[in-house]
Amino acid sequence: MATFIDVNLVKYICGCGKKKPVCKLYLCRHCLKIRCGDCVLHEVDTPYCPNCLENMPAAEAKLKRNRCSNCFDCPNCGHTLTTRATSHAVSNPEDPNKSTPKKMFYMACGFCRWTTRDVGIADKPAASGNWEDKDNPHQKRILSLLETYQQIAQKEKAEKERKKYVRRRSYLTYAAGMDKYGMVSVAAKRKGLLASPSTGGSKDEDTVISPVEPSDTVTTFEPLQDEIFTQELHLENMAGMSQRHAPPEFQPCEMTDLHPLHKHLLIRRSLRCKQCEHNLSKPEFNPISIKFKIQLIAMSHIPEIRIFTSPELNFDKECKVILTVCNPTSYNTNINLTTLEGDTQDDFSNSKITLPKDTIVVSRRDDAALYDVGSQEQEAQKDDPSVIAFRKANKVGFYVKVKPQVKEGDIQVSFMMKHDYHNTAIALTSENQEPQVVWLEQKVFVNLGPLKTQK
Amino acid sequence: MKPSVKIAAGALVCDECELVGDITIGARTVVHPKARIIAEDGPIYIGENNIIEELVQIVNKNPEGKSSSTQNVMIIGNNNVFEVGSYIEATKIGDHNMVEAKAKVGRQVELTSGCIIGGMCSVSSTETMPENTVICGSNCDRRVARERPPTQRLDVWCSYNIYLLKCNILFNGDKEL
Repeated sequence: MATFIDVNLVKYICGCGKKKPVCKLYLCRHCLKIRCGDCVLHEVDTPYCPNCLENMPAAEAKLKRNRCSNCFDCPNCGHTLTTRATSHAVSNPEDPNKSTPKKMFYMACGFCRWTTRDVGIADKPAASGNWEDKDNPHQKRILSLLETYQQIAQKEKAEKERKKYVRRRSYLTYAAGMDKYGMVSVAAKRKGLLASPSTGGSKDEDTVISPVEPSDTVTTFEPLQDEIFTQELHLENMAGMSQRHAPPEFQPCEMTDLHPLHKHLLIRRSLRCKQCEHNLSKPEFNPISIKFKIQLIAMSHIPEIRIFTSPELNFDKECKVILTVCNPTSYNTNINLTTLEGDTQDDFSNSKITLPKDTIVVSRRDDAALYDVGSQEQEAQKDDPSVIAFRKANKVGFYVKVKPQVKEGDIQVSFMMKHDYHNTAIALTSENQEPQVVWLEQKVFVNLGPLKTQK
Repeated sequence: MKPSVKIAAGALVCDECELVGDITIGARTVVHPKARIIAEDGPIYIGENNIIEELVQIVNKNPEGKSSSTQNVMIIGNNNVFEVGSYIEATKIGDHNMVEAKAKVGRQVELTSGCIIGGMCSVSSTETMPENTVICGSNCDRRVARERPPTQRLDVWCSYNIYLLKCNILFNGDKEL
């Protein structure tokens, strides 16, 4: 869990050169490169409603303007509206003295207590509501604009096609002028015969596009009424900016004009590596499921470096800092740490770091061992106590020496972590074969915080 | 408890709550454990059917800077709900109001009826809230609802009371008055 707290202290470099915390990175098992959210392809799997979890194809969602037809948001605060039932006495048509209770439904916001009754929307006899939408006052104009632009698009497409053809013909006519062998004219004739139906068709496309009425320029405004200066303003009756802009087609000014808003759909997406086009993350299709078919987050493949304790740092003095490295894979991992000296990209580091020279072996992740006190594997490692601070399951704490070189600001160090990685992705294809072992290099950037304040 | 506390028949006041000063509690009002009702400056009258939840503080105290008692009477009407951890200094509270969890109502505020002070909202102005005012959100946005919030229905209240009584019998420490 600590991985998600103070995520920006330890960063890894992504294949695209950005520094990101390990929990926001992916590892492409085919390119064996780190990828981040900015350098992968985001693909839309399916739009779905976050409230009723109904999913629909993208085309249908587009038709519904990416909103759910059944779920609503509160126009006052944006919270999801819930349906409430009340009993409502309806007089019996046969016996006017008797009244039968009838269930009626309205919608209410659980957060700000806004209800559809507040704005005078009548209760509905059905729970699903069939809440009717307001008519868009600009519907006609939008439709005419859409139609015109569709025509223009069609015309442009036709022109593009004709241009291709015209160029070819012009070449032929040029060649016909130079005709020495009487062959080109034959070819031109044949070509002309073939092309004639299409040229006939292109004439029809020349139909004049009905021009849209240009929108009117607003030049004058009605002067403000005098009452505005004398009457007290009731802010509680006026809609706020966000409330006004939530429905852009109506933009209600007063609280009484608010109308429930259809809930926006969310998107279930998958991520794809841009280089090898393999999936890095693919959720299950059903929006109810939170599982993934493919999930190659770096956290479950790459050893994670963390700062163990907040270190005491003094200027120009070698200070011992404990870092931990955690192995998330099911294989023992060897880790070599080297400095990034001579790396021109490294403008991050501002202090000297002395790293352990030996290879650190981090034991594999074993969920059962977490509950097993005194695992045998731990004793199997013979560690140099000046390098290794402690071992615990799949985690190792080790000492590094940091010599701060700046007097102010945070002490930042960087190093290269080389580790072996058992690539199970390729081993799966050929059975009974040991997973391929590769060495991966990760550049790690650690922010150790400010110097110890002098008293 | 001091003898100046008057609790009407049918009210349920838990033993663990703190009542200080001259307090009158009406019928069918429930005061949960760990609620504090402090009548420092003057008497507090609480009407019927109110629910005062845990850690609620209803305080009738001097405004800062005044040392002598002004004998200001604090009157709370009927059917009000004070949710967990709310803090009330207002001296005039009408009926059917709701003060949500951790909300704060200042001394100069007058709640008329059907007002809702949302969770964590703090009102400390000098004003009389119009009926059915709803204050909610981190910016204390205001709105006037058309209807007052639905009241605690009697059957809900009864089952609630029975539940509390059962608890009292179970833990065997409270007095039902």
